[in-house]
Amino acid sequence: MKTNLAVFFGCRSVEHEVSIISAVQAMRAINREKYEVIPVYVTKSGEMVTGEELLKIENYRDLPALLKAARPVTVVRENGGVYMKEQSGGVFSRKKAVRLDLAFPVVHGTNCEDGTMAGYFEFLGLPYIGCDILSAAVGMDKAVFKDVLKSAGLPVLDCVTFRAREYLTDRKGITAKITEKIGFPLIIKPINLGSSVGISKVETAAELDSAITLAASFAEDILAEHAVSALREINCSVLGDADDCTASVCEEPFMHDKILSYADKYTSGSKGGSKGMASLSRQIPADLPEEKAEEIRRLSCEIFKAIGANGVVRIDYLLDTETGKVYANEINTIPGSLAFYLWEATGLKYTDMIDRLAELAFKRERARENLTFTIDTNILSGVSFGTKGAKGSKI
Amino acid sequence: MKYSVLAALVLLAVSALFALARQFQMLQQNSYFPSRYFGWLKENFCAQAIAEAVLAAGICVLAWAAPLYLAVGAAFLLGFRIARAFSQQKKSIKKLAVTARIKRLYAAAAVLYAVIIAAAVLPWIGKNVFLTIGVLLTCLVPGTALLCRTLMAPVENAIAHWYVNDAKRILRERPDLLVIGVTGSYGKTSVKFILSRILSEKYNVLATPGSFNTPMGVVRTVREHLLPQTQVFICEMGAKNVGDIQEICEIAHPKIGIITSVGAQHLETFRTVDAVFKTKFELADEVLKNGGEVFVNGDSEELFSRIDASRYTVYGLREDADCRVRNLQTGKDGSSFLLCRDGLELPLSTKLLGKHNTVNIAGAAALALKLGVKPDDIRYAVASLKPTEHRLELKPYLNGSVMIDDAYNANPEGCLEAVRVLASFEGLRKVIITPGLIELGEREYECNYRLGQAAGEACDVIILVGKNRSKPLAEGVRSTAFPEENLHIVSGFREAVGIYAGMADAATAVLLENDLPDNYLY
Repeated sequence: MKTNLAVFFGCRSVEHEVSIISAVQAMRAINREKYEVIPVYVTKSGEMVTGEELLKIENYRDLPALLKAARPVTVVRENGGVYMKEQSGGVFSRKKAVRLDLAFPVVHGTNCEDGTMAGYFEFLGLPYIGCDILSAAVGMDKAVFKDVLKSAGLPVLDCVTFRAREYLTDRKGITAKITEKIGFPLIIKPINLGSSVGISKVETAAELDSAITLAASFAEDILAEHAVSALREINCSVLGDADDCTASVCEEPFMHDKILSYADKYTSGSKGGSKGMASLSRQIPADLPEEKAEEIRRLSCEIFKAIGANGVVRIDYLLDTETGKVYANEINTIPGSLAFYLWEATGLKYTDMIDRLAELAFKRERARENLTFTIDTNILSGVSFGTKGAKGSKI
Repeated sequence: MKYSVLAALVLLAVSALFALARQFQMLQQNSYFPSRYFGWLKENFCAQAIAEAVLAAGICVLAWAAPLYLAVGAAFLLGFRIARAFSQQKKSIKKLAVTARIKRLYAAAAVLYAVIIAAAVLPWIGKNVFLTIGVLLTCLVPGTALLCRTLMAPVENAIAHWYVNDAKRILRERPDLLVIGVTGSYGKTSVKFILSRILSEKYNVLATPGSFNTPMGVVRTVREHLLPQTQVFICEMGAKNVGDIQEICEIAHPKIGIITSVGAQHLETFRTVDAVFKTKFELADEVLKNGGEVFVNGDSEELFSRIDASRYTVYGLREDADCRVRNLQTGKDGSSFLLCRDGLELPLSTKLLGKHNTVNIAGAAALALKLGVKPDDIRYAVASLKPTEHRLELKPYLNGSVMIDDAYNANPEGCLEAVRVLASFEGLRKVIITPGLIELGEREYECNYRLGQAAGEACDVIILVGKNRSKPLAEGVRSTAFPEENLHIVSGFREAVGIYAGMADAATAVLLENDLPDNYLY
């Protein structure tokens, strides 16, 4: 009896391909003696398909052929369980239904990692791995993330946020506000996108406009924050839940450009970049004094708890080499390659890490079952019998 | 003529299939036990059965004397039975559930009728005999229902056997699954819930739901609810006869056992408390054979006086218990106590009312400690335990008063404990509303008398429901110094609530004890 583990990946997101790479890696690592792996590929148009052929990365080169071979499915709740049903066939074909025990979303970016996918599973009542709706949403929105950390007394860089539409009508005002409050050099980012898409560093006022225009093509909300000049980027992963979490060793990704761009993160490796985050040039563990590494690991656990995360996340920091100060820059609630390379360096095999993720998911499910109580009787069916003096509930 | 007889028989058979709906429904609701079904027939069917028999006789005579009119009579009967079947099902609270077994019964009935009709119309000798049988069967539907049930018995047994084997196979394929057996004369359901809540701090737990404590209940739980990720299976084991627990053990093979009590329950089948003890300890035998640990309630006198305590882990309030409840404080808001086990002293508090519940918690906690649940997690789980519905459940009630809802309690010891819980509500006026206990056979008078006595000593106002039924209770009350003007004997529950409503205020607590109607809340 194996646990039917449905791996959801792809989705209507700019990081669609990255998700495919992360998911194929994960599916290869899953312990097949314990879990039955069910790939559920969500196409760029949002349709769900399944099939053995989705397990191999080579098959994704010819997407039309892959989609022809894979079978369209729907996920439904029935008879107290959640089932994946094949939509196939004519009138007489019997629809095959597979019971899903656990969902494993390996998705990146908007429309999925931002809590959308978690909400979908919550709605279905299907236990799932990773952050819940709120923590995923907070993690995706860079401005809200900063606010939550700030109120928890955790170090973040000050920022100015504004709407792209606002900038169009009040270019002068916003430029002045950014210049005054942040100053140059600064970073312009679209709020709510991961993977460094649409991010640029702005050295002078002249570059500001094109940076904002670029960011505006990815999101309606934009954030400007101070750029640390003497900068090292340090990442750290956290695994666990709010009761009990641990931080991995730190890594230092190397930047080709001024800041790590989308191209750096996902296409710099060999073989057309099919190795994802795991193949980026980096140093693990990061070359840091022990107490600095320890500080970052401690901060990571605090941030993890502050947003109420669950599963595995990666938190990216900016280290100002002049002042020695660390600032939390962003959190990835479903990090590329699930940050497994950081955990292997910490002494936890990828296979065991996924096992731990599944345990955490079931633990959360149990806690919920223990808290919620359903009223079996239909309150609407209870009509009163109007006792003298008793509180009637006549309808 | 032959065709008219054929038509008449077919019409009769079809009408009988409709009439069978009611019979199958009742057979189903009596768990397919012919004896219980007879009980229902006796109570509810007498007049109708006579009417149907008269009808059958009439139709038989008609069939012999004037076959042509038989078809007309049969057609009328069909119309009547269709209409009745639909109206009966519509009116029923618990309708006929069309399960696979019901479908098989219907198939058996259809085949039976078909064979008899064929035999009656074929040019064989003695066709009048078949004709008579056919007419009788189609008219005497309860008989047909029983006949189908009997004919299908070997098939049903084979199917049940297959289910049992399938459950055994599923369990064999899960050597990693830890099975815990819970049994006892009373307290087993509470312990199952408490244990399931505490263990869920660390494990994925499945417990047999509700009252699924028979072999087939366990089989159904395994086949329908056991998930691949389930790590612990808590199996409640009920018994009415010697060997019942052994039978469940042979399916589930528990590696840990917990025996909550031995008492005078189901004596109509067990005869002696020794037999009850022997049956409950079939679980201990199985667990010890599997090299496991058995936890027993040291506060159950009938249990503890019969065992060699060194073989078991004893829990309870007694001083020599391996897992002991100390410094117990009980009251309106629940209980708090110190759990002592192997040098560990764990302060626990619970919202559950009653001393017996702290003992139940001690047993479950001892087991959880063995399975590596952290003491702090046990504390949290115990603090968050909720009472089972209608079992010593504390609720707000009329005019700001509080109610102890113990409406589902049917065991004499439990009822006395409920009265003790009410007595512990210091500073409040104490009221009890109860119709007393039933279905206790010879002990019924004694148990009700004792309940009446206990109420007389603990309560300020007593409202007894049912003028005849409550006589032993009233005698018990009157054996104490209870003031007569505070004893009310009423005929119905509404009246009881009416009296209570007149006196209830924020300084009043009422215990609703046993066997009250579903809609008693307001």
